[in-house]
Amino acid sequence: MADTPRPAPRATGFVYAAMRVFDLSIGEMLWSRRTVFMALVVGLPVLIAIVLRALQAMGAAPISVNNNAVTGPFIFGLMIWVFFLRFSVPVLGVFYGTSLIADEVEDKTITYLFTRPIPRGAILVGKYLAYLACTIFVVLPSVVVVWLLIVPMGGSLGANFMDLLKDLGLLALGLAVYGAVFALIGAAMKRPLLSGLVFVLGWEPIAVAMPGYLKRLSVAYYIQGLVPHAMPQNSPMSLIQDIFREVPGFAESLIWLVVIMVLCLWLAARTVTRREYVLEQ
Amino acid sequence: MTRGTRFFLAGSAFVAVLGVGTGLVAYYNGGLPLGLSRGPQTDLAYIPADAAAVGHADVQAIMNSDFRQKLRQVLPTGEELGKFKEELGVDIEHDIHTVTAAYLGGDHPGIGNGVVIVRGNFNDVQIEGLATRHGAVAEEYKGKRVLAMAEPVGGAVTPDQLAAGQIVAGGHPVAAIAFLEPGVLALGEVAMVRKAIDAGPTGEELLKNVEMSALIDEVRGTGNAWFVARTEALAQHSGMPQEIMDHLPAVTMFAASVHVNGGLRGQLRAEARDDKAAEQLRDVIRGGLAAGKLVSGENPKMNAMLSSLQITGSGKTVGVAFSVPAEMLDLLNGVAAAHQLSTGSPIKK
Repeated sequence: MADTPRPAPRATGFVYAAMRVFDLSIGEMLWSRRTVFMALVVGLPVLIAIVLRALQAMGAAPISVNNNAVTGPFIFGLMIWVFFLRFSVPVLGVFYGTSLIADEVEDKTITYLFTRPIPRGAILVGKYLAYLACTIFVVLPSVVVVWLLIVPMGGSLGANFMDLLKDLGLLALGLAVYGAVFALIGAAMKRPLLSGLVFVLGWEPIAVAMPGYLKRLSVAYYIQGLVPHAMPQNSPMSLIQDIFREVPGFAESLIWLVVIMVLCLWLAARTVTRREYVLEQ
Repeated sequence: MTRGTRFFLAGSAFVAVLGVGTGLVAYYNGGLPLGLSRGPQTDLAYIPADAAAVGHADVQAIMNSDFRQKLRQVLPTGEELGKFKEELGVDIEHDIHTVTAAYLGGDHPGIGNGVVIVRGNFNDVQIEGLATRHGAVAEEYKGKRVLAMAEPVGGAVTPDQLAAGQIVAGGHPVAAIAFLEPGVLALGEVAMVRKAIDAGPTGEELLKNVEMSALIDEVRGTGNAWFVARTEALAQHSGMPQEIMDHLPAVTMFAASVHVNGGLRGQLRAEARDDKAAEQLRDVIRGGLAAGKLVSGENPKMNAMLSSLQITGSGKTVGVAFSVPAEMLDLLNGVAAAHQLSTGSPIKK
């Protein structure tokens, strides 16, 4: 019986390949040391919410600013803004997004992925989807728990339900956009984590606070245009509003965020496809 | 995907869905059973869900404030307060803790559609004795004692008429007082008092009115007295002048709160129909402020007070924040003292 040459494996479709990479990556991502960091980042607001609720149950005087009692919905809005939108979402985006390709390069395992008969871009997209699932499944339940604990302190769950839905959508969108931006940085730069941290902790706060058009070169500018909370007037929250007085409209913000996400993801996939990664010996 | 990963994702999804589901139930019901949706709602207790306007005042906090002490030196105390205390055994300054009032619009035309819930220290026997001496008739409604106080068309109220609701059909509102629980009274027209009893003590009933409870949530923490109203429902049967009614459609919601302490600080807020209506409203307020400054002339105190008025809000929201500093009251005290010296009456300490 004559030996027949083994046919070359057929190239897998992009979507199927991305889903296979997603399946492989999500477990790795979820049980990594980064998850401990993520648990700390999203666990802190939950801890604060539990403490506040316990204090209320023990009959402690309500928190007040300028002799005004601060209600649960107000505290929740503040926590969404300060803990999640301004900190957790960008920082998680940096830590996970930059590592999508960089970790494989650092561990010298990217060769194993690149030798598979799958489009290179599908590797990045699959890993990006795994990042998205991993962060969304940790951050959103945390937000829901904080909401259940905090809002009833002088507020109504029913009356604030729509704001919760908007917050959850906004956080998911924020994670998606920041993840795409840092996936691009991770795919294109040599020290992506450092560059990402400079972008999030250095560039964005400065650009957003600067007058003029510079703020349009940040993700935070468009994110804050979607913040749904009608922040109370004549209150500490209005100070925050004053700082970020110039915010874009809802439609403009949404369009730009989607554009940034799609563009960055496409550029990242293109970079991974074209770039030759040299592994250090 | 490993089993552990699947369990983790399923657990996370379960927490998120459970929380969102809880919110969804609260959104459609206005609250959750077993008091899970929020803390105690004593300030909203016995207020029916169809309230068009709700106001609340922490009377004790206001009475104990420095502002009140200064105001006392200016305003006369009056003999009526003494009479009130003597007959009812209620010292308004010390025995009343909070007052919550609601106006019920919609299907309940007439000015008698309000109910007032008063919390404090009351001598129920003394109040009932006085009411009975004035011809009140007692009835039990859902286990609460209700005293109907007025006389309808055709003579005094009989218990049968009261039970059958015939006295309301007569066209004359019948004032009533109900003893809801120890230290809690409801005052108002008899049908309104019954509605308050129907609403119950949890405060959850009003939470079913999502629009109203959202507005209350926004103002209740900002002062020791607040008021919110849905202007459309309020205007329907309120008997307001036509000139005011014509302008009301531009405003859908109205809220006010005042914090009384050393001075007086407050805010008024209106939700306009659209951005254009809001801008017009802002223009009106700006015009009013400018006219006020023109009239006040060189009076620095008045100018300071007018300057403290700030127009706030964006989009459809129009707000005005104001403050009356303690110094302004000292000025009023000075004027009052000078007036009393000139008339020879003794100055109150």
